Amino acid sequence: MDLDFLWTTFVRLIGGVPLTLQLAFSSIVLGLALAVLLAVMMRSWFTPLAWAADGFVFVFRGTPLLVQVFLIYYGLGQFRPVLDDMGIWWFFRSPYYCALLALTLNTAAYGAEIVRGGLQSVPHGQIEAARAFGMSGFTLYRRIVAPIALRQALPAYGNEIILMIKATSLCSTITLMEVTGLAHRIISETFRSFEVFFVAGAIYLAINFAMSRLIGLAEARIAPDLDQASRPAEVH
Amino acid sequence: MKNGSRPAVAVEGLTKRFGPLEVLKGITLEAHDGEVLAILGSSGSGKSTLLRCINMLEVPDGGTVAIAGEPILLKEKRGGGREPADGAQLDRLRQKLGMVFQSFNLWSHLTVLENVTEAPVHVQKRPKAEATEEALVLLDKVGLSDKRNHYPSQISGGQAQRAAIARALAMRPQLMLFDEPTSSLDPELVGDVLRVIRTLAEEGRTMMLVTHEMAFAREVASRVIFLHQGRVEEEGPPAQVFGAPKSERCRQFISSQLRS
Ligand SMILES: Nc1ncnc2c1ncn2[C@@H]1O[C@H](COP(=O)(O)OP(=O)(O)O)[C@@H](O)[C@H]1O
Ligand SMILES: [Mg+2]
Repeated sequence: MDLDFLWTTFVRLIGGVPLTLQLAFSSIVLGLALAVLLAVMMRSWFTPLAWAADGFVFVFRGTPLLVQVFLIYYGLGQFRPVLDDMGIWWFFRSPYYCALLALTLNTAAYGAEIVRGGLQSVPHGQIEAARAFGMSGFTLYRRIVAPIALRQALPAYGNEIILMIKATSLCSTITLMEVTGLAHRIISETFRSFEVFFVAGAIYLAINFAMSRLIGLAEARIAPDLDQASRPAEVH
Repeated sequence: MKNGSRPAVAVEGLTKRFGPLEVLKGITLEAHDGEVLAILGSSGSGKSTLLRCINMLEVPDGGTVAIAGEPILLKEKRGGGREPADGAQLDRLRQKLGMVFQSFNLWSHLTVLENVTEAPVHVQKRPKAEATEEALVLLDKVGLSDKRNHYPSQISGGQAQRAAIARALAMRPQLMLFDEPTSSLDPELVGDVLRVIRTLAEEGRTMMLVTHEMAFAREVASRVIFLHQGRVEEEGPPAQVFGAPKSERCRQFISSQLRS
């Protein structure tokens, strides 16, 4: 074992962690906002809105994230003149923004299903109890519906967070130098793919271990009665 | 303003149908301050629907409901049926009604204490400290002081129902509505809940109580109403309804209940 090489590789790969985390958390936050919007649309009484949301989820869950990344970054490059005219070419020429967009849309589609499931799981009787005491509108959502939905959805959403952290590695395919991108670069210099990918994998594992602990703490805090023996979210 | 002029609740000509099924066929009744109305009737006779129409969890197709003299405003819906006309009025009047459900319906994300303070703080906008202080007194009254920091999933059905009663009382309601509060409890847990309800009756609280506990109804009710197929079939003081019912159906129902 060349410990020196492993160490220097580790130090170099750590340099990619900020970008990895930035991609993951930006897309998770933006994606969650979009997911809530989609879930509300799905439940809308105005059917075209519901169809649009269902269609979005159908497309983004049914196609590989890698294809989505390529389609947005390479595919839209074909329409540069149009995008130039619209004044948004600066966005689509940037691999960072393209990756962020693909990740956001993708996690929004999965998140929408999770949020919808959470909202559906809220027992009707508990909503009626709130209404019976004169609670309605936004207060009812904020105080009763949302927290109960969150309790239900958090384990599934925790999984989605872990999946997204891993999914950022696909961004290396459009030149982003996050952990996997840096690993490719080091391998092209050293040809030692086993050690480099081994270290890269260990870094993802460490991030996701910490993340699943945080999710477990959040679950214990939000739903202290649903005692899962502080079971951390599983790492796939 | 007490008895007589402004009943705590006045229901007039109430009708309700679910599709082809006519559940309530014109119910008229009043509950005055301090009265305990027991509502009897076989399963499916419309007892729950009647209570749910009083606080508009179901909107009646016809008739009116007035809470402390104020009619709940309804308007015609496009395509048939009615709906509340003034959400703010409904929310305000609902605060005068303390509903206790057969299946408790405690909020699962809140502790017992938080369940009791939730509506006083977030609907009635009372100061949290004051609401908490009052909630602790109520929990003590229903015998749940030691469970105040438990979640609904961590307590028994009987405890949950007593917590639900405390939750309703915390609204300082003018009228308590009980929909078969002991029907989903194990027999050994029924007694504690009935004891709490009896205490409330003795305090002179105004209550409408749907129940299958005949002996209990006879003991605490000031008036008994027997519903049959969506109508008031028999109405009177417990001694009359239980002892000498005018209606044959009521007599049959009571004897069948006493036998089982
Ligand atoms: N939301 C509903 N939709 C359709 N039918 C209902 C609904 N609620 C009650 N019913 C029907 O109305 C009838 C009366 O119900 P309910 O008021 O619950 O009776 P009770 O409480 O006396 O047992 C029953 O036949 C029941 O199936
Ligand atoms: Mg019923």
